[in-house]
Amino acid sequence: MNTKLKAKLAKYLIAIGDDELVLAHRDSEWCGHAPILEEDIAFANISLDEIGHARLWYEIAAELLGEDKATYPDQLAFFRSASQFHSIQMNSLPNGDWAFTMLRQFLFDSAEVPRLEGLVESSHKPLAEAAVKIRNEEIYHLRHTSAWVKRLGLGTEESNRRMQVALDELWSYAQQLFLPIDGEVDLVAAGLVPDSAEIKSAWLESVVPSLEQADLIIPDEGPPPRDRSVQTQHLAHLITEMQSVARLEPQGRW
Amino acid sequence: MTDTQWPRFMVFQQSELDEPFVHNGTVHAPDPEMALMNARDVYYRRPKAEAMWVVPAESIFSVTLEEQTSKEWQQEAEGAGIEKEFHVFAKFSHQGQCEQIGIVSANSHEAAMRLAIETYTDKQVLWWWVFPSDAVMASEAEDTSSMYDPSLEFDYKSQAAYPVVTMMRQIHAKGKLEE
Amino acid sequence: MYGASVDDFDLDQEENPEQLANFEARIARGEKIEPGDWMPSEYRRQLIRMISQHAHSEVVGMLPEGAWITKAPTLRRKLILIAKVQDEAGHGQYLYHAAETLGATREEMLDALLEGKAKYSSIFNYPTLTWADIGTIGWLVDGAAIMNQTMLARCSYGPYSRAMVRICMEENFHKKQGQEMVILLSQGTPDQKAMIQDAITRWWWPTLMMFGPHDSDSPNTPILQKWGIKTRSNDELRQDFINQLVPDLQALGITLPDPDLHYDDESENWITGPIDWDEFWRVIKGDGPVNKERMAARRKAHDDGLWVREALQAYAEKQAAEAMPA
Repeated sequence: MNTKLKAKLAKYLIAIGDDELVLAHRDSEWCGHAPILEEDIAFANISLDEIGHARLWYEIAAELLGEDKATYPDQLAFFRSASQFHSIQMNSLPNGDWAFTMLRQFLFDSAEVPRLEGLVESSHKPLAEAAVKIRNEEIYHLRHTSAWVKRLGLGTEESNRRMQVALDELWSYAQQLFLPIDGEVDLVAAGLVPDSAEIKSAWLESVVPSLEQADLIIPDEGPPPRDRSVQTQHLAHLITEMQSVARLEPQGRW
Repeated sequence: MTDTQWPRFMVFQQSELDEPFVHNGTVHAPDPEMALMNARDVYYRRPKAEAMWVVPAESIFSVTLEEQTSKEWQQEAEGAGIEKEFHVFAKFSHQGQCEQIGIVSANSHEAAMRLAIETYTDKQVLWWWVFPSDAVMASEAEDTSSMYDPSLEFDYKSQAAYPVVTMMRQIHAKGKLEE
Repeated sequence: MYGASVDDFDLDQEENPEQLANFEARIARGEKIEPGDWMPSEYRRQLIRMISQHAHSEVVGMLPEGAWITKAPTLRRKLILIAKVQDEAGHGQYLYHAAETLGATREEMLDALLEGKAKYSSIFNYPTLTWADIGTIGWLVDGAAIMNQTMLARCSYGPYSRAMVRICMEENFHKKQGQEMVILLSQGTPDQKAMIQDAITRWWWPTLMMFGPHDSDSPNTPILQKWGIKTRSNDELRQDFINQLVPDLQALGITLPDPDLHYDDESENWITGPIDWDEFWRVIKGDGPVNKERMAARRKAHDDGLWVREALQAYAEKQAAEAMPA
């Protein structure tokens, strides 16, 4: 792989790592505040897994860029400004209610699984190996969130109403998941990552019937999604909070 | 409005394929499918699991050694229901948990219990549990890797990741940490 | 059947002296009492009180540390802290289970907590003001809890004892994680040193109060000791804890907020100045720094979650109705 391609692949991995880290942050806010004790535990597992995934993607990016694998993930998480993150906007939105949180997680995991199916085939071996491990965990997340989406959709009038409100807000945000990441064309051509258009068709194939079976109406896609370089104000606040302690003593050992 | 914390399910875990299922605790869940997932999330975090069962708490009938001789439950043992399979679990030591020891066929919980006590006589049992096999929701073999494989190995999950004894020894001896 | 409610037990039954003697003999032989066994109603009552209080402490205890998850300064610390708060939820889960085997339901126990009728450990009514509090809670607060829990892991009631064995294993992890953080901060930059000194100063006395009042003011202790629930007194456990902690904290250059603290050669104990028991009782009675915030947070989570719990219950009922043969 030439240096240019390496840099593009690193950028791709940092973007999908950012997706995981930002969503993990939101998920971790539920820890201690979930609707039932069992879900405090289950949702913390999802959050832990996602931080682990972010770290793995950042580590592979570090190797591609010739950075130190041990320190680079923390550098990326704690010492970039919000405008340097390339996460999708959806993951930065405040948690809202349990319906919003669960549905966002479901929409995200449903895209992660086909993305990982593609990355398992990547011609970059460390990436393919990491994807195998991560895929296992994402399959479980999807199983968990699918079970919830079905139950909340079909549970009570109130739960169905809240799910529909959440879906109406999230559906257009979710489309940003399939906007090709900068440099993706060359990466796809080199067999390094899957094509976003293919991820989208796999996503629609799984998500649409699940949501319809949960008695939910699929909204319009809305305006074309923003580029990943455009961030919400929510992300700025999230990143400021996340970095507040680390930046007190940038050289310190914690 | 009255609260619901959902029904209780007993959780049983199998650590290796050829080992018995062992009682692990409970979870609250609205239905068996969610119970199996909650069980995974609550109990898989430490020791590894190969498979799990969840069983509604109310379908388990238990008798301690002390209750074994009481006539009360034995009077119920003349059930007239349809004969079906019951799992038999037993606790052998005061520190231990109930573990799977076999299956009996009977037409009521009480009849299954009496049969279990008559059948498994080789070791002293402190606590007997029986429940019908059809009350079990079991994990599927094909789900083992996504459900029960340990999560990605993180350095924070081992005692060795926190060398505090060594650190304190350095500080007591030299007044500071070695680099 | 296994799933009983506390209403099924006659808590004021006449105790049969023969059964009581047999029960006490079993405890003296080191046997575990299991849910179906005969037990005095006072034993059941004391256990439900202690176990549910302990479970509530784990659940409320998620809040002060949970507040710092989003601010953890490295990814490793973030993972450690989420896993720790998650463990606390797990401990609450195991403990509610142990109380459920005595006939209490989780609905009843949570109601008692949210209505302010049930107690939880007062330590969680103190605020977490800086990141250094997280290390301090791990080493001091969890360290103090472990002293108690190690004792309870040997207690006479089977389900409580088994829950405690598991909890102790995990708490030992938490203690080491906390100690590692305190060591690093105490050997860090001047600001980090100041941060950890401030945290230890604030948490030291409340931690010592965690062991409960002096033996002379602890009315339940004798009966709990007789029935093998508590095997050591509050003061014994507190002294062991102080002896373990003081030399290490001093070696780290941390000053403890107690001018009377000294080593007594004869008893080989570290002796502290007087504990402010007025503060202890004030916080227990609800007038601690953040009692109101803690309960408000629990109540909000509970109330916000009600529609969720109801929706899943409704779904399960619909499914069960459909599965029934017509």
